Amino acid sequence: MKMRAWCWLLLCLAGACAAAERLPIGPAELDSVLSTGAGQPPVHVNRFVLDRLPVTNGEFLLFVRTHPQWQRGHAPTLFADDDYLSHWAGPDALGAATQADQPVTRVSWFAARAYCEAAGGRLPDWQEWELAAAASEHLEDARKDPAWRERILDWYSQPASKPLARVGLGPPDTHGVQDLHGLVWEWVEDFNSLIVSGDSRNQGDPDKLKFCGAGALSLQGRDNFAILMRIAFLSSLEARSSARSLGFRCAAAGASR
Amino acid sequence: MKWITCALCVSLLAVGLGGRASAADPPPIDHHDMSGMHNMPALDTTPGDSLYQLDFSLEPVGNAPVRFASLRGEPLLVTMFYSHCTSVCPLVTTQLQHMVAALAPADRRRLRILMLSFDTVRDTPQALAAFMAEHHIRDPNWLIARAKPGDVRALAAALGIQYRELPDHSFNHSALITLLDAQGVPRARTQTITAQDPEFLSSVRALLAAESPKPIDKTP
Repeated sequence: MKMRAWCWLLLCLAGACAAAERLPIGPAELDSVLSTGAGQPPVHVNRFVLDRLPVTNGEFLLFVRTHPQWQRGHAPTLFADDDYLSHWAGPDALGAATQADQPVTRVSWFAARAYCEAAGGRLPDWQEWELAAAASEHLEDARKDPAWRERILDWYSQPASKPLARVGLGPPDTHGVQDLHGLVWEWVEDFNSLIVSGDSRNQGDPDKLKFCGAGALSLQGRDNFAILMRIAFLSSLEARSSARSLGFRCAAAGASR
Repeated sequence: MKWITCALCVSLLAVGLGGRASAADPPPIDHHDMSGMHNMPALDTTPGDSLYQLDFSLEPVGNAPVRFASLRGEPLLVTMFYSHCTSVCPLVTTQLQHMVAALAPADRRRLRILMLSFDTVRDTPQALAAFMAEHHIRDPNWLIARAKPGDVRALAAALGIQYRELPDHSFNHSALITLLDAQGVPRARTQTITAQDPEFLSSVRALLAAESPKPIDKTP
């Protein structure tokens, strides 16, 4: 542990302090909003590590410089839509209007995934994200705390045109993780598992048998509006989609305790 | 010694973006197996919207592993399923069989069918072989395959297929058949699995006609 502290100190001296560290979370039994019905046992989430902060423009810039195939204009249209990194001044330049310490947004799921792979990790899955995001500064599971919920919901009333704040301004939660709420939406690995609904490109005929399996999942904790908003948003996306307030952070498996 | 280790640690942390996690810990076992994740764009003439931009390894039952992109060259019908499915998946299989049966024999020989399993745990090669036997799938143009979890997720994402494993190990999933042209670009899709979809079938026929093999050019 001491060793690692030294390493971080050296990194800081080298000016790389901004590089996010990953913090351990779990193992835990999560009462997920995606449980398939009341009375279902909680979901077991293995121990994992999660980036303390969302990935920034500066970090993503380094990535596209070393992985030019992910630069705007080079990434195949299968992996990125027209809006991909469109707020940057150039394919490998942020420009004056974009700050290096703002969270990177307008990145597709494929691009976020490739970044995390290059960073020795992966995207968190939904249940990992949900477990991490349940924590406030004081409680590991603050989801029933009205004041905390209120504060998260406040974010949704902010005008979307407001410039994104830099990362790290949110209070660290009990895990030490910051900005899970109040800054950007975040990709998860299994974004296309959250609500299994008809293909949005081909809807209209309710008689078509579209699903295999037990049918609709019943969302638990319907009063947790902020989390349900996330699910609705993520499940509306395509893997190549990008959005102005959609970013990501990475995770990795955690050493067992 | 400490400093050497620390220097190593720093270089690990500094190389690329790697090792931001605790580099000193032994590599833990991850249930999210991403080792098969190769969603790096291919650096060749593959069209930007081609599914073959996804480069990963498929394990078709009864065949050696193949790269997904090696299917390039002929039209492909692709769907995803799991063999323990009792409701929709058998219908999808039957639907595919009906479509293929409705084609002219020459077309039938050129069209390939890929059914990739969602269930990376229970759909072992044995389970998939049993599925093939049950559905009398013997045509070598049919690939009943498995792949690594991260690759299954990526192909589903690229096709716009949503799926989710339930606690009883069944899967909720969208039932979607996609027609890819020889270059891997999606040309048509259908979610109709309980009845004929003449429109989709004519797309398949039209594509096979448009991409029929050209007569050999004998000009010296």
